[in-house]
Formats: sequence, structure tokens, C-alpha cells
Amino acid sequence: MPNADIKEKMSGVDVVKKRRGLMVTPDLCIACRGCQTACKQWNKLPADETTNSGSYENPPNLTANLYNQIHFIEKPQDVGIQWNFVRRACMHCGEAGCMDICPAPGALFRTEEGAVAFDKEKCIGCKLCVAACPFDVPRYDENDKISKCTLCADRISNGLSTACSKGCPTGAIKFGSRDDLIGKASTAGYTVYGEKDLEGLGVMFALKADPGEYNLPKPTYNASIALWDSMIRPLTVIGLGAVAAGALLHYLTVGPKDVEPDDESGKGGK
Amino acid sequence: MEKMIQKTTSFERIVHWLLALSCLALLLTGLGFLYPQQLGWINTVFGGVLIAKCVHNWGGIIFAVSLVLSLGTWVPECLKWSNDDSKWLGMFGGYLSKEKDKELPPQGKINAGQKIAGIMVFFSGVLISISGLIIWLSTPTPLWVLLHNICALIFTVVVPVHIYLATAANPGTFRIMTRGDVPLYWAKKKHPKWVKEIGAE
Repeated sequence: MPNADIKEKMSGVDVVKKRRGLMVTPDLCIACRGCQTACKQWNKLPADETTNSGSYENPPNLTANLYNQIHFIEKPQDVGIQWNFVRRACMHCGEAGCMDICPAPGALFRTEEGAVAFDKEKCIGCKLCVAACPFDVPRYDENDKISKCTLCADRISNGLSTACSKGCPTGAIKFGSRDDLIGKASTAGYTVYGEKDLEGLGVMFALKADPGEYNLPKPTYNASIALWDSMIRPLTVIGLGAVAAGALLHYLTVGPKDVEPDDESGKGGK
Repeated sequence: MEKMIQKTTSFERIVHWLLALSCLALLLTGLGFLYPQQLGWINTVFGGVLIAKCVHNWGGIIFAVSLVLSLGTWVPECLKWSNDDSKWLGMFGGYLSKEKDKELPPQGKINAGQKIAGIMVFFSGVLISISGLIIWLSTPTPLWVLLHNICALIFTVVVPVHIYLATAANPGTFRIMTRGDVPLYWAKKKHPKWVKEIGAE
């Protein structure tokens, strides 16, 4: 582990300030889906059977066997259509609602590179992470265990790049130090989506158009989880402790209310 | 031998034990889920987080069923409210005073404090059961988790107070949950209106 001065707090876990991440540039994407294939190959994920929906987009959404999907946005033009291609996968939020709400210790965890990874053995299948995710990412496999992108935690911890970025022929998915990626995209004149939101997303987008054009939502931390995490959750433990301490204090100061057999006053009162 | 009068039926006692034990298991496993990093060891004691999940879910079913079975017993009693109850509550039931023979407004079978606790347990119990089922059986929006925990917060405050007042703070009270009978002199002092009502004088 690195020195304390280059750590920062994210979702209660210390990580290296030099976070690793991905910069996705949709303008460079040619929708070859090499990233989908490379991801499946590295993570040993089988193919899903799909049906022809009239679009080249395939499969149509993330599944337990598809951690990384190229989403096709098709906008009819006067002649032909305009295609926007967006990579959909876990965004590895700095402030990750999924991690905060997960009740199973270690089922979701932060890697040293700042990725949100999972341990299927520890997952209890409650699906709270699904509800907490602002990007509709986590999926459940046939054993009811979480399944999603881990930013190739096993590759990057060994100095490799992610499988998706390695398989990308155009540089639309770039892996590297998060700060470097932001610097390069800004210099190239792009607006960076996810630079500061949710304590910084691990997966960012270099855009020249409005994020809405790419169906990218405004990254928001769920308000219910925020209230629960900051107030209700600590109050539960504090309340329990306060009441127990109060009862003990009452017993030691005021004391118990004994009722004596010879007390026959009987009317009213206790 | 002192003259004894029956305060609870065996049915009421069994239902109350079911409520109490399931509630305790739910509170403990719930705390383990609440802070998995800091309190997850509680669920390790239960045999691991997967077993704790089963205990929490099925314990919740036992709790909810026991709550329904209480509908004919203490729930209606808790909903009866009189002026004496308001006055008793205003004096905090005499619990803030050391004076043993303090005159208090006469109470029925259940005193005003117990009524408040009962009402809070019943209504938050209904809400925690509904939200719990939704969390268990669907992919819930976090709003249900928030509601579930707000109800749990009520339980973590009300239940320890209830246990303390029914054991250490009022010696002899716990017998109502085990054998169900109380000495007449005790009932006359604590629940005079009830003694009159059943004509046990």
C-alpha cells in the first residue's frame, strides 16, 4: 500500500490518489464491438442468445454475461441516420451508492486502483446495488450473484490495461491514470463527463456534444440512500446506545419501582 | 399465599414470545447488515451472512404473523385512551421520581406508556413488514430501504425501553410473560381500573 498522503477517501475505503480509469471518446468509436468480445474473452463469459431487433446493436443491453456493451443511438436524418455509439458498463463511481447500500461485507469492494469490484462468494443476492446504481449497471447471474465490470481488477493490479481498451482499435477506450486521461481529453478540446460527479467517475466520457445526445444521465447519488447513509443509519446505532445507557442510568439513580405486599393503599396510582 | 389474578392467556404469552424472539433476531441481524464492515461480525455469529439473511427474512415472517395474531389481544387495548392516560403520561408514569407511593392517575389493563409503545410497535411493525417483503421479493427502490430503517430506528429505541421497564425497573412484571398471573395487591396498585373492570376486588 502507498503512503497515507497519497490516499483519498472514497465510500469509506482508502484508495490511491492516482486512480486508474477509462476515457471513452464516442466520436472515435466505430462500433466494431471488439471491446465486447475482448471483455468476454478475458472474463470467460459465454455468449447470450439474442434475436434480431432491426438494429446492429447486439446484445441490446448489459447482461450477467456482458459487462461491456456498445449502445447504438440511431437518429433519423434527411438522408440515412446519425449513429452515436456509447459504451455502457460500470462507471466505478468515487461515491458509489451500490457499495454504501450493500449489506454483505466484502461482496463489493474498492480496489487499490479505485475500481468497484465484487466477490460472488460473499454476495447474498439482495439486489440492493441494482436499485442504488444511477447507471442501471449491476446484473445478476443464474445463481443470483452480482455480475458486472470490475475494470479488469485482476489485469490492472498486475500492470496490464483493461481488456476492452486493449481490444479497441481506434483509441475510443483509453486506459490510464485518471488524472492523465482528464488532462489529455481537456487539452484535445473535449468536455469531460464524470470528472467531478460522484467524487469522480472511474469511467469518463470525452464529449463535444451534450451528454443527453449520448443517453448519458446526470450522475446523481440516490437521495434516499443519502438520507439513510448520513442520518438514519448512524441514528439507529446511536439511538440503541443512548437508550441502553439511559436505562442503566435510570436504574442507578431513580431505581426500580417495587410494590410491597403490605401496601394496600390500592386506590389510584401505581 | 397471596391471591393471584390472571393477566395474560397462554396464547397471548406464546405470541408475545414469538414477537420478542423474532424481534431480537431481526434487530441483531439487521445491525449486522446496517454496518457490514463494523458490525458484520454479528452475522458471522449467526453462521455467516447467507444464514443471517435467511434468519432475517423468515424471522420477519414469524414477526409479521405474530403481529397479526396480536390484533385480537393487546392492539385494541392499546387504542383505548382516556384522560387518566394523558395525565399519567404527563407525569412520565412516576418513573422520574424516587417516591414509591406517588399517587398516579389510575390505569387500565395496559398503562399509558405501554399503550404508546404498543401503538408504535404495531404501526412501525406493519410498515417494516411490508417494506421488508418488498426488499426481499423485488428489486426495491432505495426508498423502501429508507422506510425499513426508519421503522427499525423506532424499534431500537422502543424495544429496549419496553424490556427495561418490564424487567429491572418493575420487579415482578416479567412474570406476566412467563406464568401470566400477578398478585392482586400488585394489580390493584398498577392497574386499578382493570381490577375493578374484571371485579377481582
